[in-house]
Parts: sequence; structure tokens; C-alpha cells
Amino acid sequence: MKRFLARNAPGYTFLAPWLLGFFLLALGPILASLYLSFTRYDMVAAPRWVGMDNYDYMFGRDRRFWKALEVTFTYVFLSVPARLAVALGVAMVLDKGLRTIGIYRAIFYLPSLLGASIAIAILWRELFSLDGVVNQALALIGIQGPAWISDPNTSLYTMVALAMWQFGSPMLIFLAGLRSIPRDLYEAAEIDGTPAFRVFTRITLPLLAPVIFFNLVLQTIEAFKTFSAAFIISNGSGAPADSLLFYTVYLFNEAFKFFRMGYASALAWVLLVIIAVFTAIAFMTSKYWVHYDNERD
Amino acid sequence: MANLTRRGAMGLIGGATAAMALPAYAANRSIRHFWWGNPERDKRTFAVIDVFQKNHPDIAVSGETMGWGDYWTKMATQTAGRNMADLIQMDYRFLSEYVLRGALKPLDPHIGKSLDLSNFDEGPLSGGIVDGQLYAVNIGSNSQGLATNARVFEEAGVDADILTWDWAAFADACDKITSSTNGAVKGSEDLSLSEALMEAWLRQNGYHFYSDEGEVQANPADIAAFWTYWGELRDAGIVLGPDNTVRIDKQMGEFGVITGEAAVSEAWSNQFVAVQSLMPDPVGAAMYPHKADGAFGQFIKPSQFISMTRDCEDEEAAAMYINDFINGDEATSILGLERGIPGNPNVRAALEPNFSEAEALSVAYFSAIQDKVGPLPKPEPKGAGEVRDAFKRIGTDVVLGNMSADEAAGIFVEDAAAIIERAK
Repeated sequence: MKRFLARNAPGYTFLAPWLLGFFLLALGPILASLYLSFTRYDMVAAPRWVGMDNYDYMFGRDRRFWKALEVTFTYVFLSVPARLAVALGVAMVLDKGLRTIGIYRAIFYLPSLLGASIAIAILWRELFSLDGVVNQALALIGIQGPAWISDPNTSLYTMVALAMWQFGSPMLIFLAGLRSIPRDLYEAAEIDGTPAFRVFTRITLPLLAPVIFFNLVLQTIEAFKTFSAAFIISNGSGAPADSLLFYTVYLFNEAFKFFRMGYASALAWVLLVIIAVFTAIAFMTSKYWVHYDNERD
Repeated sequence: MANLTRRGAMGLIGGATAAMALPAYAANRSIRHFWWGNPERDKRTFAVIDVFQKNHPDIAVSGETMGWGDYWTKMATQTAGRNMADLIQMDYRFLSEYVLRGALKPLDPHIGKSLDLSNFDEGPLSGGIVDGQLYAVNIGSNSQGLATNARVFEEAGVDADILTWDWAAFADACDKITSSTNGAVKGSEDLSLSEALMEAWLRQNGYHFYSDEGEVQANPADIAAFWTYWGELRDAGIVLGPDNTVRIDKQMGEFGVITGEAAVSEAWSNQFVAVQSLMPDPVGAAMYPHKADGAFGQFIKPSQFISMTRDCEDEEAAAMYINDFINGDEATSILGLERGIPGNPNVRAALEPNFSEAEALSVAYFSAIQDKVGPLPKPEPKGAGEVRDAFKRIGTDVVLGNMSADEAAGIFVEDAAAIIERAK
């Protein structure tokens, strides 16, 4: 023990600020929420232990919970591939060696910086409203567009469009990945006269796999946690007709609108499990399609 | 200070700032007033705070204001964090919920001392009583209503008395207006998502949405009939279509009667003044359509209350402020009718000579309906807010044609009962 301390004390001392923050500000509340998920707690009276009631209700009787899952899963399955595809596409264009690449990188990254902001969500709502810019543009070519946001049949797709537009951060990572692919492979392919599509599927994609994997995991987690834009666009309620009832929006409503902190904590833990499962699946399948440079096989 | 962390440093800086801010008031008395509002209301309320401040320099009053939706969210967090403002604006529908959660203090100890209610009408006062104690003082009464475009009504030749009309006369008016303007102005907005109107419909059928015990007693058939009625007007094309109806978070500026798309929108009686200020044509004040031979659907409601919270320390100062708010000459003349009709007859008499046309209309409407309204229903049970959300949510599917009125009404009543059960 003494030797351990002597050897590691400086390390832990330097780590202390982060550790303190982690234990007091992150781990404490996380564990507290696990406890709260087994209670009924309205933020005024003390929490009351109810055992598995919250989870029973969630899986057995709560229609809106399943609706929230449906909305969130639809969003994840549509928006993640779409955003990655757009990000990869733009990254490949930029990789072709534009001289002013710095400026383009900045321009294309801009929507992602703005993305988390309230202003963009409000802008989106206006763009896609009945007499918004989108419908005015459609009117020019003679199409009468629907009220995109207030129609439950289309509202979720406006959110997917918003996600696609915010491709900046995966795009930057793709760009870095593309840059690290050895140029001589492409030269060899060119000499052999390989068609562009085959170059893409046989060289670019396989060598980019680790980066794709990284982006996939990160963006999936990100998509499950989508909140601000959905909250603003649906006016905090998941309207119209629960078509924008994202999991996090539902969680927020349960917690801060209806004062069911216990139930909201249970929802939060279920979300954690869902994200963990998806991440685990991604990791387990990765050995079949992700190859790292330094691996020997 | 050797092992000061970054967060620690921020805490210290924050603490130092707070410590610097405190001494200014620490020795004196202070109260915080928090209300939901709009620019006009905020202006008037801050002016009242200034007046109170002038008369009581030893009491520091600060005001906070927000829109209706954010107000209740912030209130929830403040309630949980035990830092509620001393005085809050309260709504009838949430009153019993906040009392039951132990968040409000009864005002009875102050009556006759710093709080003078001897001149107050009994009707408006009674709405603030929960379990025999006064938890909220009425700062304005109102009732449900419809704002109409008086010019369009006249030009279309609608001659029904809009204070006594029934549902058939309402549909007839919509028809006349739409055809006489060739569809440029629809008769009305589609009000099938208005829970206040739906609840009035049930009262016209002889019962409240909630029983006295706070259980859901709505008959799905009646709610289906309500949705079917509006569905027929929709199909006839004499009310505004779904695009307008299901618009999220509709602001007053988007009311059909203000944009000119429709001749009728729903408005609380204290909103007629604000509606008029946004539309060029003269506004008309109509009651909800009645049911032929039915009971009365509307009632006189405390529009807003002021309540003292659990976290109030200087109760006497707070009670004095409430007193000034409802009785003070200067304060009440500043507030006017903006929050509704004042419960103190002396205040009403003092205001009358300076009414604008719309204010006069609002007051005339209020007195004209006195014998056409039912009694104030009991406060709603816990969970009523969530039931309202469910009504709008499920009603949206009916408006969009995704569900039949019958099916939706069944699901809604079932959901409503489950929500109330769960909120217990």
C-alpha cells in the first residue's frame, strides 16, 4: 500500500480535480437516479419506494412509452445512415483537393455548430410551416406543399432533414480518414483502369471502415439523445399527435411537466440500456467488417 | 488555495458575486413576485411594483415574468428547489394541485390585518378557497367566449343573437359568412381541439367532465358527438381546415379572427381588449353556442390569482403587497381590466369612466352573461393538465381524418381515466 501510494500519489493528485468532479457531479446524481427509478417522487414530498412499479407500468401499460420508442427508433434508423452518407459524400468531394479547402470545411461545418442552437430549431419550424420558404419554393413549380411540421405524417421527416443538414462533425472525421488512405493504392487502381465505383467499394470503403465505425457509434448515440430541436419544434409536447414524441422529450415531460421524477429516472435508465445494447451490437459485428491497419490476418 | 480545482474556483467566484449582491437587501425586507404575462401585462405589473416600492421604501420588491408555458416549467423547478418566489400568479386549474403538494400558505391569518377583503365580492373570492382556507386571492374574473368579426357578421346578414345562439344557429352563421364572402372568410376556426369548449358541451348535457370526487365521468358518446359536429362543419368547408387547427402553439396574432381568415375565434372575456388591438374590424363578443333546451355551459371563472408560497419568509410584507394589488387606488388603476374583472366593486366603479370601447364591450359582455352561466365547477383533480394534452393529441387525429370520432372518443376517455388514476 505504501509503495502503491509512493508510486502513484502524484498521478492521483493531478487526477483529483477530475475525479472529484466525476464523483460529486456525475456519479452521485447517476446513482441517485437509479435509486429514484424505484420510487415515486414528485419533487416536493420525499421519494416513496415502489419497487418495480415504474418499470411495470412502462412496459405493460404506457402507450406513450412505446410511441416514444417508435418515433426515436424511426428517427435513428433514418437519420444516422442519411447523415453519414451525406457526410461521406461531401468529404469525398472536398478530398479531391480543392485549393480553398479550409474555407469549404468551415462552411460545411457551420450547420453543425449552429445545430444545437434554439434559433435553428425555430428557423426550421418557420421554413417548413404552411406558408414557409419550402412551400413557397414548391409553389413556384406548381406544387402545393403540406404543413410539414404540423402534419404528423411529415413532421418527423423534417427532423431527419435537419439531421442530414448537420453533417459537419462526421464529415471532418471522414475527411481525416480519407486523407490517411495511401495514395499509391489509388494510383495502382488508375493504372489498372479500375472503374470509379469499384475503387470506392474496394479501396475507399474498406480502408475507411474504422472511421465509419467510429462515426456510426457516435452518431447513433447522438441520435438517441436528440432533444433540443425536437423539443422546440414540437413546442415541448411531442405534438402534432405525438409524431415528434422523441424519447428524451417524453422523459422531460414526465419529469418537469408532470413531476414524475421517479418514472423519468426509470425512463432514463432504460434509454441508457438501449444505447448500451446498440453500441454493443455495433462492436460485436465490427469484427466482420472493420479492419484495422495494424491487424495481421 | 493550493489544490483549488477549476470547479472550486468557479464556485468561489460565484459565491463572491452572490455575497456582494446580498448585503444591499440583507438588512431590509424583500419579496419576489412571479407571474406569467405578456408585454402589456408586464408593463403594468412592473409599474405596480414601482408604486408599492415608493410607498414602502423599506421593502424591496422584485418581479419576474414569463410566458404561460415556461412559467409552469420554471415554477416546477423552483418548487422542487425550494426557492419559489414569495408571491406567484396562480391559475384555478392548478390551485388545488399546488395546495395538495404543500407549496402554498393559507392567507387566513392575514385577513383583517394586512389583507383587507371586506369590500371583495363573495363569488370571486370563493374560487380561492381550498379545504376551507383561502390560498389564493382573485385578481380578475373572466369567462369563456368567442371573439367575432362584427363587420363580417353584419355584412353576411347573420341576425342571430350571439349571446343566446344555439349550435344550429352557429352552423348557420358559419354557412352564411362563408358563402357571402365566397369562401374568402370562413365562418369560424375549427374549435374541436378546445378542451374548454368540449367541457362546456358536456355541461350543456347536464354534467361536468370530472365528478365531485375528481373522477372522469365524461360519456364517450357526448365527446364523439362534439367531434362529429365539428367534423360536419369541416366537411362543409365552412370552418378553417386542419392546417390551421393543428398548428402548434398558436399565438393570439394567428387567431383566425385577427388574420381575417375566419369570423370567429375562441377568446377568454379578458382577451377581447387584446384581440381588438390586433384587428382592424370591430370585435364582437359572443357566448359559446348553447344547446337548445340544455343546461348552461359557461361559468364565471377566477381568471388569475395571487398566492403566497411555502418559501415566503416575510409574510406580512407579502400580504401588504397583495392588499395593494387588489385595493390600492393607484395600483388598481394601473392594472385596469388586463387580468380580468376586479372583484372589488369600488375598483370597478373607479375604472369605469376611462374605459376604451373594447374594455366597455368586455365589461358589458361580462354583465350580460351573468344569468346565462352555470356554477363554478370544483377545482380539477391532479393530472387534469395531462388530460388536456391527451384531448388535443387524440383530437388532432380526428381533425386529420386518421381516426373516427367514435373510436377517438373511446380512447380519449379511457386514457383520461388512466391518467387521473395514475396521478393520485
